[in-house]
Amino acid sequence: MSQTQMMKGILDGCLLAIIRGKEVYGYEMAERLSEYGFGEVSEGTIYPLLMRMQREGLVSSIKKASTAGPKRKYYSLTDKGHEELEAFLERWKRLEKSVNEAIRQETKEGSEGSA
Amino acid sequence: MPELSKESRRFIDDLRLYLFSSGKNDQEIKEIAEELEAHLEEAERNGKPIEQVVGESPREYMEMISSEMKFDKKAWLKYVPLIIFGAISFSVIGQLMENMRLSYSYVFVGGSLAVSILFILLVFSVFKYTASRQVSRVKEFLLMMIPIFVNMVLFMALIFWDMYTELPGIELGVTASMIVGAILFVILIGISVWAKTAVLLVMLAAVHVPDLLLKMTSLGLEARLITGLLATYAMIGLYFFYTVKKMKKTEAVEG
Repeated sequence: MSQTQMMKGILDGCLLAIIRGKEVYGYEMAERLSEYGFGEVSEGTIYPLLMRMQREGLVSSIKKASTAGPKRKYYSLTDKGHEELEAFLERWKRLEKSVNEAIRQETKEGSEGSA
Repeated sequence: MPELSKESRRFIDDLRLYLFSSGKNDQEIKEIAEELEAHLEEAERNGKPIEQVVGESPREYMEMISSEMKFDKKAWLKYVPLIIFGAISFSVIGQLMENMRLSYSYVFVGGSLAVSILFILLVFSVFKYTASRQVSRVKEFLLMMIPIFVNMVLFMALIFWDMYTELPGIELGVTASMIVGAILFVILIGISVWAKTAVLLVMLAAVHVPDLLLKMTSLGLEARLITGLLATYAMIGLYFFYTVKKMKKTEAVEG
């Protein structure tokens, strides 16, 4: 439960980062995520997240015709989305540092303790 | 546009039904269904199985999507009175055709309202259940019989209770009954225009025309009532399927 909660928060951040680059549609985002190693996450997971981010005003969307197949919905970041991404990056840096620090210290002490 | 696989097609249909039965907004349902359809189509072109998109449990995925969508009060304000008013008009027009005057016990009026609401809730629960669990068509049909059957039994109990006991109520003369009938008919047309659906009028005709024909047979009143009710509820069930089918068709044309 808390694990999926955390995962969602992380995915939110990654999606915001992916959308920042250029206007992008759902399938492309999913592909990009799996390239980055999120292959375990089923692709459809991004849509409920996008729905929430859109409701919260972090992203906006526009439908465009595509050469192959049906219309695609392209997403882009709003000003609020940019702010949220900055905040996420800040949170993530701190978290990453804390986790790395904890693991480094504890595994070191753990191995000394058992020795 | 290349065709979706049967499995993906079914998932999209089930998702629509699930969200519709959960009282979500039509436009929002259309948006997410289109987006997922496009995704599934592209995934299939690249040889990905549907599980890679919707995960191992379609039910959990539907719940995830549903939880991000608001409950659409306006849609319910549109459907619920339509169905209840429909039930009332069926009964009123039936009575007018039977003996040109209206007589209702309070028990019957209140009971009909309660039974109608229960029916709507049961139908939507069955829709949500079958849509999210990929049940077979046969099981879907059998499950759909539960609300229809429960409702029929309750309505019949109500009708017999009303017929064989003296209950307090209102009784109108022929003129007053006709005026009420006319007002009801005008409201009925008004509602149909407002809700942009002729379904109530179509159903009214569909139920009362056989009833008129049944009258010419040697069947007793009870048998006619039961046949009439059966037809009504079968048609309400059909109406929901028809709505979803139509939603799908409009999109196919637009897309």
